[in-house]
Amino acid sequence: MGRIAIILIIFLLATTALAAVFTVWVAMSTRKQRVQSDAETHKLRETEKAWFVIVIVALVALLFATIFFTPYGRTAGPDGQVVKVEGVQFAWLMPATTIKAGTPVEFDITSKDVNHSFAVYTKGGKLLFQVQVMPGYTQKYVYTFKQAGTYDVLCLEYCGVDHAKMQAQITVAA
Amino acid sequence: MTEHPITATPLPEGADRAYAKSVAFRYLIASTVILGASGLLGMVLRDSQAGAGRVPDAWYYAIMTAHGLGAFVGWGAFAVMGLAWWVLAEAGFPVRRFGRWMAEATWWLMVGGVFGVVVTCLLFKFGGSWVFLYPISLYGSGVWGKWTAFFFTFSVLLAGLAIVTWCVGILHTVVGPALGAVSKNPINRYFTSIGWGYLAPKKFASNGKGVPYAVIPLAVIALDMIIATLPLAVMLILLLVHTFVASVTVDPLWAKNILWWFGHPVVYLLLFPAVAVYYTLVPKKAGRPLVAGNIIAIGWAIAVTANVIVWAHHVYIDYPSGTIQASLNVISQPLTFSVTVVSALSLYSLFFTIFRSKYKWDTVGTALFLGLFSWFSAGLSGIANATIAFDQVVHNTLFIVGHFHQMALEGIGFAIIAATYAWLPEFTGKKLYSDRMGRWHVWLTFVFANLNSIVWMDQGIHGAPRRYAVVPHHWNSLNEWAVPVTFILVLSQLLFAWNIIQTIRGKGENRKVVTWQQAAPAVVAKTVVLAGLLGAIITGGWALGRHVGETPAAASTTPAASVPATIGGGDVASGKTLFTATGCGGCHTLAAAGAAGTVGPNLDTSKPSFGKTVDRVTEGEGAMPPYSSQLTGQQIKDIAAFITGSTGGTDDSED
Repeated sequence: MGRIAIILIIFLLATTALAAVFTVWVAMSTRKQRVQSDAETHKLRETEKAWFVIVIVALVALLFATIFFTPYGRTAGPDGQVVKVEGVQFAWLMPATTIKAGTPVEFDITSKDVNHSFAVYTKGGKLLFQVQVMPGYTQKYVYTFKQAGTYDVLCLEYCGVDHAKMQAQITVAA
Repeated sequence: MTEHPITATPLPEGADRAYAKSVAFRYLIASTVILGASGLLGMVLRDSQAGAGRVPDAWYYAIMTAHGLGAFVGWGAFAVMGLAWWVLAEAGFPVRRFGRWMAEATWWLMVGGVFGVVVTCLLFKFGGSWVFLYPISLYGSGVWGKWTAFFFTFSVLLAGLAIVTWCVGILHTVVGPALGAVSKNPINRYFTSIGWGYLAPKKFASNGKGVPYAVIPLAVIALDMIIATLPLAVMLILLLVHTFVASVTVDPLWAKNILWWFGHPVVYLLLFPAVAVYYTLVPKKAGRPLVAGNIIAIGWAIAVTANVIVWAHHVYIDYPSGTIQASLNVISQPLTFSVTVVSALSLYSLFFTIFRSKYKWDTVGTALFLGLFSWFSAGLSGIANATIAFDQVVHNTLFIVGHFHQMALEGIGFAIIAATYAWLPEFTGKKLYSDRMGRWHVWLTFVFANLNSIVWMDQGIHGAPRRYAVVPHHWNSLNEWAVPVTFILVLSQLLFAWNIIQTIRGKGENRKVVTWQQAAPAVVAKTVVLAGLLGAIITGGWALGRHVGETPAAASTTPAASVPATIGGGDVASGKTLFTATGCGGCHTLAAAGAAGTVGPNLDTSKPSFGKTVDRVTEGEGAMPPYSSQLTGQQIKDIAAFITGSTGGTDDSED
């Protein structure tokens, strides 16, 4: 999981906690069971404009904080290794080439039949990356393995009855 | 121009009001029955993943498909579509003759569509999932055939047409005589109906006010869903034609975009009418008008446009070479953010309508309030999901499943549940059976539906894939928690069903106003205690009981001494590694490799000879692809040696 994802999870937990506190506060405010004056209602209506501005500012800030973290347009460079992968119900067809750690790998992935998703996990079940694969198109994903070892490839797009069994392994050498 | 006619007074007793009652009641009863069935299917799926009554894979995905469409379209969409007719009646908009035809057509199309989905999934094992991404329905891998796919597609088309007829009926109603004095032009009247009277009163509202707020979301979604559904309908028809004319196909990338062009707005087909319910009922419970000014109309003006152009956030990690998909995806993030503004404003308005008011904490008030919190919470995770950065991590994981169950089952579901408790007495002319039972139902549902989602979100954030009949071991530990949680969640719905049945039978009580002091704290305390007790008992029992009678894992892999190291020049040991790495086990069963694939022939029983295996792996046959391009001749021999050696197949090699 990248740093940006961890920051987003913390952001999500924090805002959810705030939302919960706010909700309890609103609920408690009804204990006195008062009838509200029109003036008070009017004041709350006016404050909604301030909330509107706050929401817009927060969304724009979040947009600029996150929009640059996309997987698009990456290249492996001249030293990169190219690995061609084909998804088929229910297997990943890959050449038996050995991938080197520390060197960018460009996976060129396509499918023979339905939509699949090429997802690479560590042996411990940590998701390193995933990318969708569809028939008739080539999807590229560039990744640099940091450590030598064996990695699991799972399919993350539902592709039929043996979707959960559509697995393969990648060996990365030092 | 005459004085502005919009009074926001409910329709008076009479034929129009009676029709709205009867049609809303019919939609509500049908959809609640579907909720019961879909909920049970959901429990079966979740418990199967946890190992409590494992369902065979083919059935798992068929049930998953029926559950998804059943709960989302058959319950959520169907229920709010029915409530919409009544919300309009409460806002003073009668459904006229053409609108009634549309309302009737919608009911029958929806019932037909749901029936077809149930039959094709639960009798004929169609398991393409509710999105059935093209071309999966044509690749049933032996589980379903082309006619099952045909009737499934046809059933979904019926549900799609139900959405269109509903939209046409709603549009016909909102631009009807209630707005007749604003303008003669129906286009202008439509703009009035989506709240432009708040922004440009001179043109769209002669008295300086807009329509009742609850009308706006319905008018917005009615236009958007026509725009969203028509391309999908065309694609479904092409798929049907493909059954007869094989040359008629669809481009997979276009197909995915068209699916999500529909797939995003259809979420709002549930949410926006639910918002209309909140706008109608929360002010009643709070005893004050909705705290909303003109600004909320800006939110809806953004929503009506952005809703139909944000679809690409569902395909953030699709960007095949040589396409413009990556650019579409990047634009989709700010657009998706913009569509959340209306939710942020609505939540403000609704919460501050309750703030310091004389809010009634009866069943309806409690359900609405808990629904608002769930909508808020699920909305926040929705914003995180809307970033490309986060989507790469959680796409197609159980996190998404947790997110949308919180949104649909609670954020939207509680609006439906609140509306049922509030209006069932109105529709039937009888008193609610038990408000106390209703509050128990609502609190239990809130606690356990949230727990259900939290478990999923935690699993997903750690990488657990969704739509896996068997969750890989890394993420299995939390699965067992889901068993008692789903069990109590489903049991709680019996309280709902009993309350509805008894109300209809006229066994209702005299309702009392329930204040904060009378209701909330006591119910919270009781619920938490009971929930904890039940949870502990069931989880404990389950954890103790589940391993009883389990056969210990076969004291495995005593290598058969009789298997030679090489057969026909192939190395058995290396073949075993290759067998697993190449993914042969995805399709074939072979005990020696721990493989249990069911797509291709079972190798343990077919015991193919060495020569036949080499041929098949090299050349492929039928569904099996040729492997000559990625395996060397030696590697293929190794695999053949391993298969022949471990199954006792004939060694007919020439070496």
